[in-house]
Amino acid sequence: MRTETKRMIKRLLRNPSAVLGFSLLIFFTVIAIGAPLICPPQSYDPYMIPIVTWDKTPQPPSTEHPFGVIDGRDIFYGVIWGTRTAFKVGLIVTLTSTIIGLLIGSVAGYFGGWLDEILMRITDVFLSIPYILAAIVVTAFLGMGLNKVMISLIMFGWMATARLIRGNILQVREEQYVLAARALGVNDYLVILKHVLPNTIFPVVIQATMRIGSLVITAAALSFLGLGAPVGYADWGSLLNFARNWLLGASGEAFKYWYAIVYPGVAMVLFVLAWNLVGDALRDVFDPRLRG
Amino acid sequence: MKEPILSVRNLRTYFYTEDGIVKAVDGVDFDVFQGETLGIVGESGCGKSVTSLSILRILDEKGRIVEGSIVFDNVDLTKISEESMRKIRGKDIAMIFQEPMVALNPVFTIGEQIVEAIVLHQKVDETTAKKMAVDLLRKVGIPEPEKRVDEYPHELSGGMRQRAMIAMALSCKPKILIADEPTTALDVTIQAQIMELMKQLQREYGMAIILITHDMGVIAENADRVVVMYAGKAVEYTDVKTLFNDPKHPYTWGLLHAIPRLDIEQTRLYNIPGIVPNPLKFPTGCKFHPRCEFAEEKCKSEEPELKEVVNGHLVRCFFWEKVEQAKKKEAGDKQ
Repeated sequence: MRTETKRMIKRLLRNPSAVLGFSLLIFFTVIAIGAPLICPPQSYDPYMIPIVTWDKTPQPPSTEHPFGVIDGRDIFYGVIWGTRTAFKVGLIVTLTSTIIGLLIGSVAGYFGGWLDEILMRITDVFLSIPYILAAIVVTAFLGMGLNKVMISLIMFGWMATARLIRGNILQVREEQYVLAARALGVNDYLVILKHVLPNTIFPVVIQATMRIGSLVITAAALSFLGLGAPVGYADWGSLLNFARNWLLGASGEAFKYWYAIVYPGVAMVLFVLAWNLVGDALRDVFDPRLRG
Repeated sequence: MKEPILSVRNLRTYFYTEDGIVKAVDGVDFDVFQGETLGIVGESGCGKSVTSLSILRILDEKGRIVEGSIVFDNVDLTKISEESMRKIRGKDIAMIFQEPMVALNPVFTIGEQIVEAIVLHQKVDETTAKKMAVDLLRKVGIPEPEKRVDEYPHELSGGMRQRAMIAMALSCKPKILIADEPTTALDVTIQAQIMELMKQLQREYGMAIILITHDMGVIAENADRVVVMYAGKAVEYTDVKTLFNDPKHPYTWGLLHAIPRLDIEQTRLYNIPGIVPNPLKFPTGCKFHPRCEFAEEKCKSEEPELKEVVNGHLVRCFFWEKVEQAKKKEAGDKQ
């Protein structure tokens, strides 16, 4: 097993896109952890971007505000603390919705019959509602705030996992090694845990990893529409929401307020890219069926 | 008279599918004796594998044993609880499968899988179990077992994987080993090696083997007793010598005719006319009558019983004497 681990790390290091993905992820993690050092909080709630000026017009980057100022708030502070928000939203929503999906999917797949039928029809109902629309309606219903956004994203984020794991379990259940394990006297519970799940979990892990990135985009979209975090909350989507009024630039100067979009936008793109690359790398390395 | 360690009587296993009831096994009788090999032979789909899955009770949810008894060690396996059955699986009765490619779990090493089997039924810790696994791998003829034990199934060749399967099945020294087409997926040379290995281990452990195959050659070389199955039913049951020298059921007779022979000039190989009937639409009466050259009106309406016609020779046919006449005629023609 130890040689196996070594081999995995070696393979990771040989793959440039995996190295890039992990480097980006480490970079974001360092920023998220070091946020209080990089940008010391100035009020009791560190997630609220401090107001530096009452002038609502965006101000270009300066030594004091390296990413510029929008809506009177420091963009740099927002981008740095927004990393924490991105991790929080991405990890909590993905983890929770994946666990819900795993439970529903594996129960449906393993026991089959009418239970499968009921659970899958419920899944279909949830799937039939457009994701963003459902999230908007639920958030509007629950009230504003990041936690409410997360709840609505979880509520409508588990179906793909449930479907995926159910399909995989149906397939693996028929494999001869499952029969062979039963012929050895392994009980049903252990058969699921040891022989079925390890053979079905990889696609789920990869899917979840990639979803962390895209969830941040969805959350940002909700913030952009003004449904997510409260005004002034350090969140990339909220920063873009501020920039909305200045998107067209000034007359004759289309890119006058570029910094309002570019900095939070780049942070978001790199964050999503990092998770996607890591997801790809994980698939290549950990799925033993792809190992040559 | 020796006591059999496993006796199967009138076993019937049906599958309740959406299209109807499939009578996969519909009347099978045989005894297995210690240290002996029982061969179960028949065409694909005749119920050989389902018979073995029934003995271990690992049928899928649609399949059910509806009648008959499977007595092992004076216990009827069809009557005991799932819990007690689980203690017998792997420990007293182990099984190896046709496709070593797919019968090993791809995400665990060979060693991890053998250790799992050992720890399940024996009170040993993992380190001891791992040592036992290495010894087992050495015993089944895998070179460098210390290295192989940490390899994944995909890193081994087909023959090696089947050896690993055998090691796993033997880990608890079972009294009966069920081998379901153990050599079908392997090269001819590897086949002979695997069969030789099984024979050698059988002598060493004194276990009984139930050998399931469609290969008459494998049966002739390895079995002591043979059950011939057709359409879910045992049609003939006797010792291997008698079966090959003096087959009494028209189906067995046909099967033996279909084997190419070196000692006779043949322009065209004999084959039994027709195909195996669809299990959802079995013919009435004797299941073999549409393909049988000796069939009469009676065969279409009545089903023959499995009867002892000579000492220790059971045949399911009304007109087995006709086969005798045909054999005599054939012998006459040759002279």
